[in-house]
Amino acid sequence: MTAVFALPPAPPLAGAAALRAAIRGFLAAHLPPGDATRRANSWSVADADFSRALGAAGYIGMVWPREYGGHERPALERYLVLEELLAAGAPVGAHWIADRQTGPLLLRYGTEAQRRKYLPGMAAGTLFACIGLSEPGAGSDLAGVRSRAEKIPGGWRINGQKLWTSGAHRAHAMLALLRSEAGSERGAGLSQFLIDLDTPGITIRPVIDLTGAHDFNEVFFDDVLVGDEALVGAEGNGWAQVTAELALERSGPERYLSSHALLVALIDAAGDNPVLRATIGQLTAELWTLRQMSLATAAKLAGGEDPVVEAAIVKDLGNDFEQRVPQLIQAVLDADLDGSTDLVRLLAHLLQVSPSFSLRGGTREILRGIIARGLGLR
Amino acid sequence: MSEMRAQLVATAEALFPTAPDWLALADAGFPFLLVSERQGGFGGDWGDAEAILRVAGATALAQPIGEAMVALALPENARWPHDGRLPALAAQVEGVVSADRFTGVLAAVPWGRAAGQVLADCNGRLLLLPAADHVAEGSSPAGEPRDTLHYADAPAQCVGHGELKAMGAFVRVAQSAGALAAALDLAVAHVNTRVQFGKPLARLQAVQQALAVLASEAAALGMASAALARALDAGDASFEIPAAKLRANLAITRGVAIAHQVHGAIGFTRDYPLHPFTRRLMGWRSDFGNDAFWADRLGTLAVTAGGAGLWADITRRGDR
Ligand SMILES: Cc1cc2nc3c(=O)[nH]c(=O)nc-3n(C[C@H](O)[C@H](O)[C@H](O)COP(=O)(O)OP(=O)(O)OC[C@H]3O[C@@H](n4cnc5c(N)ncnc54)[C@H](O)[C@@H]3O)c2cc1C
Repeated sequence: MTAVFALPPAPPLAGAAALRAAIRGFLAAHLPPGDATRRANSWSVADADFSRALGAAGYIGMVWPREYGGHERPALERYLVLEELLAAGAPVGAHWIADRQTGPLLLRYGTEAQRRKYLPGMAAGTLFACIGLSEPGAGSDLAGVRSRAEKIPGGWRINGQKLWTSGAHRAHAMLALLRSEAGSERGAGLSQFLIDLDTPGITIRPVIDLTGAHDFNEVFFDDVLVGDEALVGAEGNGWAQVTAELALERSGPERYLSSHALLVALIDAAGDNPVLRATIGQLTAELWTLRQMSLATAAKLAGGEDPVVEAAIVKDLGNDFEQRVPQLIQAVLDADLDGSTDLVRLLAHLLQVSPSFSLRGGTREILRGIIARGLGLR
Repeated sequence: MSEMRAQLVATAEALFPTAPDWLALADAGFPFLLVSERQGGFGGDWGDAEAILRVAGATALAQPIGEAMVALALPENARWPHDGRLPALAAQVEGVVSADRFTGVLAAVPWGRAAGQVLADCNGRLLLLPAADHVAEGSSPAGEPRDTLHYADAPAQCVGHGELKAMGAFVRVAQSAGALAAALDLAVAHVNTRVQFGKPLARLQAVQQALAVLASEAAALGMASAALARALDAGDASFEIPAAKLRANLAITRGVAIAHQVHGAIGFTRDYPLHPFTRRLMGWRSDFGNDAFWADRLGTLAVTAGGAGLWADITRRGDR
């Protein structure tokens, strides 16, 4: 059998009920009021106060060592907390990247000094990070990165431009992939740098998205001088490190729950309408299956393995689901998109933002290429 | 996988592709998988049954092994006469029961004509009926017997309560998981060998991307099936049965189309071994509750729970 996803369902997690009760209690006390649309796609919604409260309660950096501000909890407990936060539509956008990938990357590749400098603030929910991968000429073809870091005595001089950088205007640091070897090509000669965004020479300009919101940015580097301590991992090892980083970001619950707030609102408004009920049933079936797949992949990750293909499958199916939730609901809901109720505001919002779900973090086509490689077709 | 399950699977993988008749399957014990050891069965669990039914699906086994497993497992004290005739499952029943007699019609009974006895779901009461008085033979899209059984004042024994549609849906989900995986295997093998434009089809990106989707659908169906079996073993799958059947039906719709598309005309022939999987898969979407039936059931559960309650239910059930 061609088993590209041979994972069994994750076994039940000991103590899950108590942990769920605790995080739901926290949410009941701390979930900020605000427009319903902020509960949709909520890992893109930043709220520094919420992040600080979440960090203080011990729900950020959960798996990191205590000496760096973490809590040394099992990886699947962290997964449980994440899915509860997202299902409730909590505004976790400010700290999400630091918790999901920048922190873990520092633990894997960073120096002791880097860990001490950044991790405690990240775990406290007060120090935020952003991802500096994409550039005008480097999208899916990430090896096309041209922004460069030039070696100078005691440090590096950085020039170039990053694009589509989510949350750069709120973040304290960017983990950037830069060409550190002049004249190198493709994946060779790339290195990762953690750059404080208040360093002179950095200009952050908003890129307004199609809804009029400011989430991503373009970030310019003009003769930005950083010390040797900004290099993360080995010089020239950036490509391998980035690949490892991307695997962390593909199979999480954020890959299928971005439209969950809309499904919740529909269920609460459905009454005894049989057409809505049928749509809810269909979507619930997919929701349940995706959760099992995402969780099974998380269990494999927690076991120290690298489920690259499984993660790509979860993200591709999950993004497809997140995108069809608003479309299928629009097809059966008898309502004008006039913004008069939470339900239609959520619907109108998600219809607009959902095309981005299969772009960010690796496009649908790139993911399917990874799955096809898993099938031995390329 | 437990040692017993691995052994059962190995036996099934060896036996099922030989097109065994019913007695050969019965001799190997497969119909008694879910019957307790005390009753002379294997004492297997739903996870074991799921694993075996996957093999049945992946080998296009033309016998109602799943229906028989369920029919034999559900009645607590019923005995199956080992006369070479199989037990059948009837989820669609119209008729009346009075004082241990049944008069009515059982519709769409898989292999009904060959049944020695029939377990029928009469509004949640499980009746054990003898072979039918009169059989109107029919067939499924895959050409398998799907008969209408007529009874007039036949002896009927009430052997418990349950929902056969739900148990039948489990059978179809597990078989589908195996069958779609087998269709994926055939598709991958085919595109690696079929040459067009001077290279194997597998080198074409459009083909690669289509097969990635098929693989993802097979993965989703496999997970739904395994998670459903786990819920059954946890003692209650009233939520997971509709969820898994709906997801299976979606995976079949998407997956079968791709399996055929990448095969081209050869996959549309009688000789090529794709149709034993795809014709069954397409028929199974209607068996034991179609999309409308299970979507209404699951939608009702969700609406009754409420938006937040649905999430609470899904996670609580998963945490079992
Ligand atoms: C909301 C949002 C937030 C983002 N946040 C960040 C961020 O924080 N940091 C960051 O670095 N980046 C971020 N990105 C950028 C994201 O990673 C890129 O959009 C993505 O990698 C695709 O690159 P591109 O937009 O240049 O599209 P392109 O690479 O130009 O692709 C355009 C289309 O062509 C297809 N295509 C490209 N190559 C192939 C191929 N080989 N085979 C088949 N099809 C192909 C793509 O799949 C896509 O459909 C964000 C994007 C969005 C939408």
